[in-house]
Amino acid sequence: MDALLKGLAVDYLAACDFAKTGKTWQAFLPAASLVKAAQRLLAADYFLEDISALDCAEGYVVTYHFAHFEKPGRIALRVVAPHEAPNVPSIAHVFHGAEWHERETRDFHGVQFEGNPNFIPLLMDPDMADCFPLRKDPKSRIKVRDVLEAGQVLCCAPGFGLMTPDAPAEAQAPAGDKAPA
Amino acid sequence: MTQNPLLEQVAGDFYTNNFAKTAKEGSLILNLGPQHPSTHGVLRVVVEMDGEYILRAEPVLGYLHRMHEKMAEVKTAAQFIPNMGRVDYGHALGWNWAFVGAVEKLAGIEVPERAEYVRTITCELNRLASHLLWWGAYLLDLGAFTPIMYAFDDREKILDILQIPTGSRLTYSYFRVGGVAQDLNEDCIASIREFIPWMRSRLPMYKDLVSDNIILRKRIEGVGVIEPEACRRYGATGPVIRGSGVAYDVRRSDPYSVYPKLDFEIPTSELKDARGRYDVRIAEFEQSLRIIEQCLDMMPEGDVLVKGAPKPAWKAPKGEAYFAVEGARGKIGVYLVSDGGKTLYRTKLRAPGFCNLSLFAEVSQGTILADAVAILGSLDLIIPEIDR
Repeated sequence: MDALLKGLAVDYLAACDFAKTGKTWQAFLPAASLVKAAQRLLAADYFLEDISALDCAEGYVVTYHFAHFEKPGRIALRVVAPHEAPNVPSIAHVFHGAEWHERETRDFHGVQFEGNPNFIPLLMDPDMADCFPLRKDPKSRIKVRDVLEAGQVLCCAPGFGLMTPDAPAEAQAPAGDKAPA
Repeated sequence: MTQNPLLEQVAGDFYTNNFAKTAKEGSLILNLGPQHPSTHGVLRVVVEMDGEYILRAEPVLGYLHRMHEKMAEVKTAAQFIPNMGRVDYGHALGWNWAFVGAVEKLAGIEVPERAEYVRTITCELNRLASHLLWWGAYLLDLGAFTPIMYAFDDREKILDILQIPTGSRLTYSYFRVGGVAQDLNEDCIASIREFIPWMRSRLPMYKDLVSDNIILRKRIEGVGVIEPEACRRYGATGPVIRGSGVAYDVRRSDPYSVYPKLDFEIPTSELKDARGRYDVRIAEFEQSLRIIEQCLDMMPEGDVLVKGAPKPAWKAPKGEAYFAVEGARGKIGVYLVSDGGKTLYRTKLRAPGFCNLSLFAEVSQGTILADAVAILGSLDLIIPEIDR
């Protein structure tokens, strides 16, 4: 995985426990790295399982799950889209199946995927397509670090604090092995 | 491409009009469904045709959209299980399993060994019922009426068996977090043992009467070729990818439950066309029977529900979990995020049919309309699962 993302800007990269959460790796990427990362995964014969958004206090965490036809495990790529302007580049021209997943995510959370070739409502009625049913009430939004598995951190960009626990809170991330990217 | 000068005369709703914007001059825009017998429920496909050839196609979804993911926000984990039986009526127990498996992963709950065998047996029986339903309905699409009568005769026997432990015939909600609702009783086990040789005795007849039938062969051979590379771009799984020669099956690749202890094969076909997908499903009948047979012999005595299994008001612990199983149509995945509250914070359902259908636009390009129907059917679509 480190090799796959080599040279790309990565905010956070961690190895996870497949038996515990069902993924082997996860990476938070800046939006600008997403398409490149997707291209590399396609070249390495990965396929896209699904795209989903999670409404958190820090923004919409858009998660891309990838798996492989020959290797076990699952990779999660994550991009955080701010609530005010939830824009994420589309990967539909890399993984063609992403077109529908992105349209579904727009229907449910209102995340905009720039560059999707047919960005119209998929599951929602076009007449009521702007109600975004899975958006949370701002008061009940949770923090990313409270629910997502931190995993074994391999690299964490200096300015990236999403997964770093607040001062004394239940520390999940092993401290000390955080090297700047 | 020139714009169709008759655009304003195209009748139809938002999707038809949007689709017609890029239509070629002289082409015909046609809606297949959502009320068409060959579209299995309420699938709608808008196609642009030149004579009998399809230039472009776009499936339109949402007619059966029930927003299960929103319903998960107002129900506790245990209360959400009945929804899973309704996502895919063809393979309801596959969805039961994916969901309870994800909750068990999240909460670190171990399932008693007997329950794992009971799950495997019922899930495989359900897979057989699902494949029989597909087989009958697919041949009906292609113009053969009789096979569905035979298929439903067999399927009826499976439904009778599954009715004993589950109490329902179609939309099962039989699995529980930590096991299953009740054990298979002696009656049920005896009926399963009786069913296996009976189902086996039917397969050679189906091969002679249907699979080798010249009319069927002419309809499905060489039609709808899908390359493994296209499957990867679209995330197609299940018999669709195995029909393209890739032996990908979650029961092998990310093994769960007792599958690693069982001896079974992953049938594949190098044909890559509708015939390949047909052959894979037919071969899976025998493999499911083998699995059930072994499970009946290996199943230990014991509980089928873990002690202290979650009650309806149980709160899932904080965290996230993704669990996938091999359903009749491919990889069923459930991704859960819990904040430790009464209900799950986020439930994401990955439906295999959704990804398999997204291939259709590309595969159907340039085929004739009748072949498009043969391709649609070969994907084994269950619309409630695609729309969720």
